[in-house]
Amino acid sequence: MKKRNKSKMLAACLFISMLLFPGIIPGLAQERPVIYKLAVELLPETASLQAKETIVWTNLSHDYVPDIHLHLYWNAFKNELSTLAKEASREKLFKRFKAEKGEWGWIKITSLTTSDGQDLLPAAVFISPDEPPNPDDQTVLRVVLPQPVAPGQSLTLNIDFQAKVPKNGLRTGYFQDGFFISQWFPKPGVYEEGRGWNCHEYHLNSEFYADFADFKVKITVPKDFVVGACGQEVEKTEDLAAGRATYTYAQENIHDFAWTASPRFIKIERWFKGEEEVTPEEYQQIAGLLGLSIQDLKLPDVRMILLIEKQHKNQVERHFRALRAAIKYYGLWYSPYPYQTITMVDPPFRTGSGGMEYPTLFTAGTSVILEKDVLSPEGVIIHEFGHNYWYGLVASNEFEEAWLDEGINTYSTSKVSAVAYGAGRLPLKINGLPLGWLIKMPAVYDWQLGRTISVPVTKLDPIVTPSWKFYNSGSYSLNVYYRAATSLYTLERLLGEKIWARVMRTYHQRYRFRHPRTEDFIQVVNEVSGQNLNWFFQEFFYQAKDFDYAISYVETKLKPHEYQGVFDDLPASTQSQSKVESRKNPVRGKEKIYETVINLRRYGEAKLGPGFTLKLKIEFEDGSTEWREWDGQSRWHRFCFEKPVKIKQVWLDPEGLWLVDTNLSNNSYSRLGPGIRILSVTANLLWLVQNVLVTCFSWL
Amino acid sequence: MILVDFLKSGFNRAVSKFRLSLYLWLIMFIISLIIIVPVSYEVRANLGHLAWTEKPLMPFELNLIEIFLANQNLLASYSVFIIIMLLFSVLLSVFLSGGLFGQMLSPEARVSFRDFLVDGCRHFWQFLLSLIIFIPFLLIFFLVFRLLSAPLKLWSARAVTEWPVILASWLTVLLLALLWTAFRLVLDLVRIFVVGESKRAMAAYLSTLRFLHRHFFRLWSLYLLIGLAVILISAGWLLLVKLLSPASPAGLLIIIILSQAYILFRLLARQILIGVEASYFSARKEI
Repeated sequence: MKKRNKSKMLAACLFISMLLFPGIIPGLAQERPVIYKLAVELLPETASLQAKETIVWTNLSHDYVPDIHLHLYWNAFKNELSTLAKEASREKLFKRFKAEKGEWGWIKITSLTTSDGQDLLPAAVFISPDEPPNPDDQTVLRVVLPQPVAPGQSLTLNIDFQAKVPKNGLRTGYFQDGFFISQWFPKPGVYEEGRGWNCHEYHLNSEFYADFADFKVKITVPKDFVVGACGQEVEKTEDLAAGRATYTYAQENIHDFAWTASPRFIKIERWFKGEEEVTPEEYQQIAGLLGLSIQDLKLPDVRMILLIEKQHKNQVERHFRALRAAIKYYGLWYSPYPYQTITMVDPPFRTGSGGMEYPTLFTAGTSVILEKDVLSPEGVIIHEFGHNYWYGLVASNEFEEAWLDEGINTYSTSKVSAVAYGAGRLPLKINGLPLGWLIKMPAVYDWQLGRTISVPVTKLDPIVTPSWKFYNSGSYSLNVYYRAATSLYTLERLLGEKIWARVMRTYHQRYRFRHPRTEDFIQVVNEVSGQNLNWFFQEFFYQAKDFDYAISYVETKLKPHEYQGVFDDLPASTQSQSKVESRKNPVRGKEKIYETVINLRRYGEAKLGPGFTLKLKIEFEDGSTEWREWDGQSRWHRFCFEKPVKIKQVWLDPEGLWLVDTNLSNNSYSRLGPGIRILSVTANLLWLVQNVLVTCFSWL
Repeated sequence: MILVDFLKSGFNRAVSKFRLSLYLWLIMFIISLIIIVPVSYEVRANLGHLAWTEKPLMPFELNLIEIFLANQNLLASYSVFIIIMLLFSVLLSVFLSGGLFGQMLSPEARVSFRDFLVDGCRHFWQFLLSLIIFIPFLLIFFLVFRLLSAPLKLWSARAVTEWPVILASWLTVLLLALLWTAFRLVLDLVRIFVVGESKRAMAAYLSTLRFLHRHFFRLWSLYLLIGLAVILISAGWLLLVKLLSPASPAGLLIIIILSQAYILFRLLARQILIGVEASYFSARKEI
């Protein structure tokens, strides 16, 4: 009975969706719990929106759902009492959200009715679901329904709303006539069977979580504005008398919708041609790596749309090159990009919306003066496109487990960037002027920099922590982006490139268009690798522990030819009667023997899991090498050698598997050291301090 | 005399007393060494036995950051040491300025380390006093700077593209530099009055303001010319060093020599500036 009801409801849902989306593929729609139809008009003179929305929400769970929770994100910018403002204030960032009169952002529902015209507004209350509760926050609205939504049943809500675009928003905003509009419409949370609504407040350190849906959105703007949005533009009409244009965008199977409008955009379209971008050798190589046929890997064509500010038009090729690389490698490694378009937005100046991802659309961010070997905006483009995979398709909960999208995507970005560009030079800018032509900056890979800068937060928070519960923004971002990525790099090195590539592809494919959690990722790692790696996640993801193994002490000294003292020189039964005062080394006679002692330490709390060891490579002056292994369980371990040559170098973890080690500098020992590099550092430091003193002297 | 003559005269005066730059260099070299010893020690202790390969896992610069992060507990005590050293450097700078101005304005052609130190002691209190009296000038400096930079800030705030922001920022820096040199000129001239005319600090300020009332723009343009030359030579020096590789011992040795030559150049530039100001002052003080 229950099942039959559900089928009926799904059929009804499908019927409605077909009315709304004449072009969608039947069969796919029934998988998705939400259908949106939106019509919005942008009023640039007041920086506001007037909109109508229809939400069809289908209860795909077995629960009877008595209410619906809606995100009203823009109320985070409404006043100084919102959860976002309070969190920002605590971090001394409040001026970022401080607004002049008329610049605060908000969203107000003016009408909320069911399909049969029942007014639900009186039954709507703002709630604060997160800890600590904030009764002043208005970013989550709970609407009590006249009757619960039964399993398989659909609920249709008709909403009229007005919204004021925040001037200095976070991820959304406007400046003069440039607009970037995201998180702008009432959006249901995700209903989780048995657990209820997962609908969090707008937090400073958190992004978003929503259900897959089909969107059809009409956007009306002044006709000289160039518009970009998620999905495909299916219609454009102009009202010349009113000086307005209306664009209609539609997209199936995405979980958010953002758009942008500005008169200063140039819109350029190119095609990503799968056949041209990937060589047969590359297909062959990846097919071998993943154990798939070349046919399984074939990449489809994708229409790439770039909206770039006129001031950056000389960077069009840089933008497209990075996007092509991202579509190619994410597609080859994880699965082909499933949508027909991708829109890349160089965000309107000063809208606070750069470097952000939305399904089928992302914002990059660049500068008018760029250096060739500093990989910006490339890094941002690859990363934000990559979120179409980790967040867009594999739609993890960014509020509760941000590492699942940010960490995995930072890892993926670093891989794509390395293979497409190599190491990038660190940027050095003063007042917008790049100084790379004057001062040589080091070239580093993302993973090298990421692992280094994440060291300070190792003991602050576990990677798997709800976003708003991190110690601060620094701990949030360094943990979920870089420490998580470093841990994944470590796993890749431990398991080997082939197994790891298959882990990642399996995880992606299995959870495409779903909402996985950390346990799902761990399960895939264990399953594909055939190992139980739960300990790894316990040590590095669920706990804030420092992992630092080190060579603490190396000593090599000549073994004496003679030992002084009293020695027994007779069989045990007569030893008390006969003694000699010294004894020659019986082993080697006059040959020099060196005794070498190597002490290893475990400084950190985190340790290796069962079955894993740390390798130790010892190189002697005659070129001979010895290998040892340590299970790393105790706090220290000592290795001793007697050889006719001195020790030259020692490496702990010589293959560099354990990138999570927070101090790699203590993982090696060489009698020679790093050569003149130390002197070079000292000389540079000296010169710097001298310059400070000369400046001080010249001014005083 | 035209401006070029003052430059020539000041330059000759500075070059003939080049030893002063050497004295200053030596003293600052020693102080700098003292300041960097703890850091250098930590670097050596942490990285002195780092095994280096053709393809290291991490670039050396990141190893440095890593040990800095690993030794953050030392940062607090080192910061206290740095603050103490900076305070000491302020007093030392006043003392060294006394020595430098004293010797640069001295009619004696020869300079000696002893005389340099004696002049440092002799003028220390008046120079320190002149520095303290300069604080209200600093407040005026910041006020004027804020007033003059306000239109740039407004222009930048309204800009819908990046260029006005960058240009405004460069112009603000330029404005800051121009204003600073103008105000800085006051302190230099005060010290010339203190040394050359044996005036006390407050009287020297009054004389300076009177003098600058008549000669400000000519003196300021001399200051700016020298400043511009220093900037251009510094950029050239940085470009030259960028071409050299510190990876080889010979390359590193050349870089070290060039680095110290640059410090000497900066000190000589300061000497030249004082020489030019002094020449101008000598020639125009009666006018």
